[in-house]
Amino acid sequence: MADRKAELERKKARLEQMRRERKEKELSKTRNVGDDSKTSVKSSGSDASGAEPDDILREFGISPAPEGSPATPKKAAAQSQAVKEVEVPTSVSHTTPRKVRLSVAKVNETSIPPRENVSYSKETQTIIADPVDKDDDDNDLDFIENLEGSSSHAHQFRGHGHSHGHGHTHKMPHVEMVAPATTSEEQNKEHKKPVPELSEEEKKQILMSEGFQKFFDHSSRIVERALAEEVDIFADYSGKDSGGKDDEAMAGERLKVNRDFYDDKWSKHRIITSLDWSAQHPELLLSSYGSNEDATNVPDGVALIWNIKYKKDTPEYVFHCQSPVMSSCFAKFHPNLVLGGTYSGQIVLWDNRVNKRTPVQRTPLSASAHTHPVYCITVVGTQNAHNLISVSNDGKLCSWSLDMLSQPQDSMELQHKQSKSVAATCSSFLSGDANNFIVGSEECLVYSASRHGSKAGINEAYDAHQGPITAIDTHRVPGQIDFSPYFLSSSFDWTVKLWSIKEQKYLCSFEDNSDYVSDVQWSPTNPALFSSVDIMGRLDLWHLNHETEVPTASVVVDTNVALNKLRWHQTGHHIGVGDDMGRIYIYDVAENIANPKADEWSKFVRTLQEMKQQATEREEDSTLLGSAAPIR
Amino acid sequence: MDDFQSGEETAFVVDEVTNIIKEAVEGSIGGNAYQHNKVNQWTSSVVEQCLNQLTKLSKPFKYIVTCVIMQKNGAGLHTASSCYWDNQTDGSCTVRWENKTMYCIVSVFGLAI
Repeated sequence: MADRKAELERKKARLEQMRRERKEKELSKTRNVGDDSKTSVKSSGSDASGAEPDDILREFGISPAPEGSPATPKKAAAQSQAVKEVEVPTSVSHTTPRKVRLSVAKVNETSIPPRENVSYSKETQTIIADPVDKDDDDNDLDFIENLEGSSSHAHQFRGHGHSHGHGHTHKMPHVEMVAPATTSEEQNKEHKKPVPELSEEEKKQILMSEGFQKFFDHSSRIVERALAEEVDIFADYSGKDSGGKDDEAMAGERLKVNRDFYDDKWSKHRIITSLDWSAQHPELLLSSYGSNEDATNVPDGVALIWNIKYKKDTPEYVFHCQSPVMSSCFAKFHPNLVLGGTYSGQIVLWDNRVNKRTPVQRTPLSASAHTHPVYCITVVGTQNAHNLISVSNDGKLCSWSLDMLSQPQDSMELQHKQSKSVAATCSSFLSGDANNFIVGSEECLVYSASRHGSKAGINEAYDAHQGPITAIDTHRVPGQIDFSPYFLSSSFDWTVKLWSIKEQKYLCSFEDNSDYVSDVQWSPTNPALFSSVDIMGRLDLWHLNHETEVPTASVVVDTNVALNKLRWHQTGHHIGVGDDMGRIYIYDVAENIANPKADEWSKFVRTLQEMKQQATEREEDSTLLGSAAPIR
Repeated sequence: MDDFQSGEETAFVVDEVTNIIKEAVEGSIGGNAYQHNKVNQWTSSVVEQCLNQLTKLSKPFKYIVTCVIMQKNGAGLHTASSCYWDNQTDGSCTVRWENKTMYCIVSVFGLAI
C-alpha cells in the first residue's frame, strides 16, 4: 500500500512536471516557429517503436528528477520521439487527469487438485500350526489315549506329565517346532519336573473335593457305557482304514452270528426250503420248511414268521399246510398275506389277520395249474398291477391274481428247442422288469425267458454248469450305474458263476467251494458284494472289488450242517441262513464291507471289464485247446 | 473487445493478453516433458516472451508476469490473488496450461498508468 501511495505521489509529481513541461514547450513552440512537428497528439499513442516504451519505462523507472525533465523536452525537440514523449504526457494531460478510483478486485484462484491414489491392499495369513508335543509313546497306546481323550484327566492316573491335543490321532505326522536338541529322557524329565509330588492328605483332599466328584461321576458313566457298548467305537468315517481291506485280525468280525431261530415243535428236523424278509416290516423273516420225516402227526408243510427285533425265540406266526412247502414269499404289496408253493404243485395263501393257521386260499390241483413241485414263486409288478408268478418243476409258468387263486390268469409252457421242457428249480426276475426273467434248471442250463411279447418263452440258454442249478439271482442294487444284466448262478458243480444276459459265456467262475453250492444272492445295497452257502455249512461273502478268487469273508456254521438257503436283509447288514435241521442263523455283516463306498459302482465297472477280458482270453484258449463237452 | 472505457485503447483486454500468454507458453515448453534441469530456462523464457509481447502492445500499462511450472506428481496446488486497483482500467489474466508431465500457470497483471 505504501508503494502504491508512493506511486501515486510519483504520478502526481510527474503530472505536475508534465504540466510544467507543457508550459515550457508552449513557450518553446512560440519560440520555435519552424517546428513543424505535428502536434498530432493523438497519433502518438498508436505508433509503437521498440525504443519508445523502453524510454517511457526508463523514464518512469528513474525517479522523476527535475534534471531529467528538462532533458526530455530537449530530446523531444531533437527527435520526433521527444514529441511523442512530450505528447504522451500531453495526451495524458489532455485527457483530464484521470480520477483514480481504486477498489479491491476479485480474487483470482488457480487450483490443481491432487491425484487421488486409489490403493487396494489384501492381507492373508498362513495358519499358524500349533507346536505338537513330541510323542514318546508307542502308536499302540494311541488307541487307548483316544478313547480316554474325552476324559482328559484320565491319563494323569497313568502317570504322564503331558497331555495330547484332541485332534492328535496316531496317523497324523508329528510336527514339531524347532527346539534345542534334547533327548527324549530329558524332555520327559523336563515335563515331569513341574509336577510336584502330592502328600496323602492333599490327595485325599482332591478326591473329596466337589469338582473331582462331579468329574468322576460324569466320566465314569461315559466310560462304562463305552465299555459295555459293542459297537465299533473306532469307526473312522474318513475311509482311511483302507476301505474294507482291513487286516486279518478284523476278518473275524466281518461275519458274526447275531442269533438263531429254532422251534422245537415246528422246525425240528425239517429242512428250510426258503427264506424271505418282509418289505413292510423289515424285522420279520418268513421261513418255509419241508416235511418232518421223524414225526407222523404233524403237517407236512410249515411256514413260520420270525421277528428279529425282539429277544423272544418263538415265532410270531405259525402256518402249516398239508404238503411240504418248497418255496414261500411275502406278498409284496399285501403286508398280511404269505404265499407258499408246495411239493404237490398247489399254491397256498395264508393270512395273518385271521386266526387260522391253515391256508385261506389254495390253487386247484388240476392240469390248468401246477402238478409238479412249485420251486419258484414271485410277486412282480406294482402296487396296483401285480401278479403272482409261479414256475413248477415241469416247466409250467402260471401267473395268478392274488384275489383269485382258483384259476391262473395266464399259463405258459417253458420249452427250450421245441418241446424240451425246462425242469425249473429256481427263477429270478430282472430288476424292475415284470416281463424278463432267468430260470435255472436241473439240466445244468440257465435260461433267459420272457412272459409276453414277441419273444415269449425261453430265449437264450447259458451252458456252463456241470450240475443242476440250485439258485439264480439277478443284480438289484440301485445306483448311478445299472448292473441289471448281471446275474449269479450256483449249482451242484461246486461253483458259482457270474453271467451277463447279453453274453453266452459266463464272465467269471467262483470255485472256492468244495461241495454243492446251495444258494447265492447279491447284496441289496452293495453292487459288488454277494453271498453264497454250501452244504458243508459254509457261508461265504464275496466282495468282487477286492477279490475275485477267494471270498472276502467265510464262516462255517458251528454244527457242521448243510446250509440250504440264504437271504440278505434289505439293509444289507444281516444275512439269514437256513440249514437242513430246521435252524435259521442270523449273521451280521460288518458295516465297512456291507456299506458301499462312493466309488464302489465305478470300481465294479472296472472289475467287470477285467472279467470280460479274462473271459475272452479263456475263450481263445479253449478254442485253441478244443473244449470238451460238459459231462451230463 | 474493449470491456472498459470505449474508444480508449488503454484498457486491459483480457482475451488479447490470454492469447499472448498461450503463444508464449506453447512456444517455450510446447511438447516437452518435465525436466528439472530445464525448468529454469522455461520459466524465464515464458516470462520474457510474455512481457515482450505485452510491451509491443504499447499500451500505457504496467505489467507483472508470473509463471509457475509444476511437475505432475499427484500433489495438489492452490493459489489465489487479489488486487486493489481501478477495476475499470486494470485487469489481470491467468492462463493454466498443462501437458502430460507438468502444469504451467502464467498470470499477467496489467495496471494502467
